Amino acid sequence: MAKIPLVAVVDDDEAIRDALCELLMVAGLACATFDGAPAFLTNGVAGHYDGLITDIRMPGMSGIELLDRLRVTAPELPTLVLTSVTDERDRLRALELGARAWLTKPVADDVLLDHLKAALGDGDFLWPEDDAG
Amino acid sequence: MSSRASGETAAPVPAPRELDIADLASESVIIFDTAGVIQYWNPASEALYGWPALAMVGRGIGHLSSRTADEDEHWRLLVQEGVWQGLVSRRTPSGAMVAADVRQYVRFNNDGTPRDVVEYGQRSSSDAAGDGADWHIPDRKMAASWEIDIGGALQKIGEIAAFRRTGAAADRALLNTLGLELVQATRIIDVNDRVMRLVGGNRGRELLVGQSVASFWPIESRTALADLIVDAVTGGTPDVTYRRQMPSDGILRDPLVTVWLPGDGGPPNRVLVAVNGTADDDRSFLYLRASEARYRKLVQFMPMALWQVDASHMGKIYAELRGQGVTDFGAYLDEHPDLIELAANTVPVTDVNRAAVEMFGAAGALDLMRPVGYLFTEMPEALRNVMIGRFNGQQNHAEPIKVRTLDGRVLDVQFSITYPKPPAELDVTVFSMVDVTERLSIAAELRQLQADFAHAARISTLGELASSIAHEVNQPLAAIVTNAETSLRWLSRGEPNVEKAKELTARIAASGRRANEIVQRIRGMAAKRSPERVALDLNEVVRESLGFVRHEVESRGIRVTADLGRDLPPAKGDRVQLQQVIVNLLVNAVQALEAASEADREILIGTGLGSDGALNVMLRDTGPGIPPDDLDRIFDGFFTTKEEGVGIGLAICQSIIAEHGGAIAASNPAAGGAAFRFSLPVSE
Repeated sequence: MAKIPLVAVVDDDEAIRDALCELLMVAGLACATFDGAPAFLTNGVAGHYDGLITDIRMPGMSGIELLDRLRVTAPELPTLVLTSVTDERDRLRALELGARAWLTKPVADDVLLDHLKAALGDGDFLWPEDDAG
Repeated sequence: MSSRASGETAAPVPAPRELDIADLASESVIIFDTAGVIQYWNPASEALYGWPALAMVGRGIGHLSSRTADEDEHWRLLVQEGVWQGLVSRRTPSGAMVAADVRQYVRFNNDGTPRDVVEYGQRSSSDAAGDGADWHIPDRKMAASWEIDIGGALQKIGEIAAFRRTGAAADRALLNTLGLELVQATRIIDVNDRVMRLVGGNRGRELLVGQSVASFWPIESRTALADLIVDAVTGGTPDVTYRRQMPSDGILRDPLVTVWLPGDGGPPNRVLVAVNGTADDDRSFLYLRASEARYRKLVQFMPMALWQVDASHMGKIYAELRGQGVTDFGAYLDEHPDLIELAANTVPVTDVNRAAVEMFGAAGALDLMRPVGYLFTEMPEALRNVMIGRFNGQQNHAEPIKVRTLDGRVLDVQFSITYPKPPAELDVTVFSMVDVTERLSIAAELRQLQADFAHAARISTLGELASSIAHEVNQPLAAIVTNAETSLRWLSRGEPNVEKAKELTARIAASGRRANEIVQRIRGMAAKRSPERVALDLNEVVRESLGFVRHEVESRGIRVTADLGRDLPPAKGDRVQLQQVIVNLLVNAVQALEAASEADREILIGTGLGSDGALNVMLRDTGPGIPPDDLDRIFDGFFTTKEEGVGIGLAICQSIIAEHGGAIAASNPAAGGAAFRFSLPVSE
């Protein structure tokens, strides 16, 4: 049975979190936001989510460290990195840890949704009509 | 004694042509210097007195007189009066006395000091060279004459005349006051040479014309002069004279003052005044005159610019206000600014010296002898302070001010004022000014240099924070882009969701404002500007500084604890420069913490009020601390341990704090890490 995908957004910046969530919602997806990696790890059981979008530089725990943890606890969770960081070592490390894409802010809506669609593509998801077509 | 040659080397040698002419004169012509030493002795003098020029040039003439003792006194009178005419008796080489009628004239330099004395002489027609005929002074016939404009005094004249009619004249004190005010209100139209010599310091008629008679008339006889003016005006008939013998006044002995209306059919409201009398030869008075002459000369050539000001009428206003119970004159002036205006427009400058003329680029003293307002065009509040000082009975007052010269330059001057000491017979206030423009401009250049360095250091710090800044600005921009695109998606639907679009547009605006705030903050840091001194909330400055490095701190997992004191008094300083100091210390701490393990990275920042009354900012990190060898020199310019650093950060921090009147110190606390502490004065 097809279902609406639920995507987690982890970013310490509230404005960005909310903006991403709104974009996912207008695209017909469901969304949950977390202000940092620790909040995601404690409140969100990894298995609940069909996808994850995370920032890299965050207080408390960095996105790299989060990817490192998820590699053990939720290796199947498709994850996108969305960050302002342009550090090449971080990018390679993230991809090495299984990130499906490394996107830099600000990201175009099409680019983000296309990558998300590609990442979630394997599952049996219900994607709404793209009215903007 | 001296030879002719040495006589000629003395300063006041007449021009050769003058000598040639006098050589041919049949009258005796002798030129003395101001000390009475003969500079020139023409052939006719030799013929009259029998002594050749060779014997006379270079020495005085007193030894030819039978009454040598009187010579000194005569000379003083002559220099004082400027002219003397009379009969002298002088000894010829044969021992016989020769009587001569002589006329002596003092010639003056432009600044009023005597230059030399010319004597013309011829054998007396009577040749009555008897005792006592010496030193007869006929000068009493030559009156000191004044032409006076009484237009401004008509009201006072009317008041006094009314008092006389009603018999209220018995109130002497009131009459006296009215009389003084009457004379004060008169203006000099013209005077003759004798007036100039007696009261004008021989500096020219222009000095007196247009001024109040009171500025030059002895105070003891001003009321009597006022009486005579009232007599003449109420009498109303031209050429009818009113006269009175006055007490000796220190200028003339037993002067006889005559007042009358001119019958020349000229403009109205004029009276003529003639004063006859011998120049007072009281020795103590002469001594005073000599000391006054010295004083005048001293004042005239003093390198400090001086103004003599007559604020007597303001003094009376102040006395009245005090009588009405005014004590806080500053508050009173705030309510009555017209009083400052009155002072600016009516308090006259009565004299200035040469330095003042030069400082103000004036053509002459007269340009500066007008109401004092022109001194305060740049800083009207300075005049207010001057008035408050007088009201409060201060002896003097000083402050740095700016003045605009007559040729349009603006100067920084140290302005001082000496008030008349009550009860002063003469109400004379003296202003002095010393040009400190150059001194201030050097100080300003140093400040500018310091500001330039501080600016360079800020740019350098901003460079170090560039990636942080880019990240921080990028956050709201990213939110704006996503919200805008989402909004377009809602609006592009078959049934546009306007509510959602509105909501997202509001968020776009909020993020835009946030981006703008960040840009403003950075612009403030990057801008080249003059430091200011304003009251600042120190805790706010600390919070703003933390904003600059927030990303640096967070991305490195550094814990920051701010322990900000409550109810701190405001600090006095420049917001951007203090931010610069704190950001600099924070960046140093962040860099020092690279060496520490992530769990141990901590920065403590605190503010408080010290027991010494100064505000303190303390910043501590848990890094490796400062190498002990470097502790003494980390504030030195160009000291750095960073490969890419230029080492002006801490040096600038120190100079900024020093400029603020505080101090900065570094230490390695026992608990570990490095600590910086600086103090700042509290804003008054």
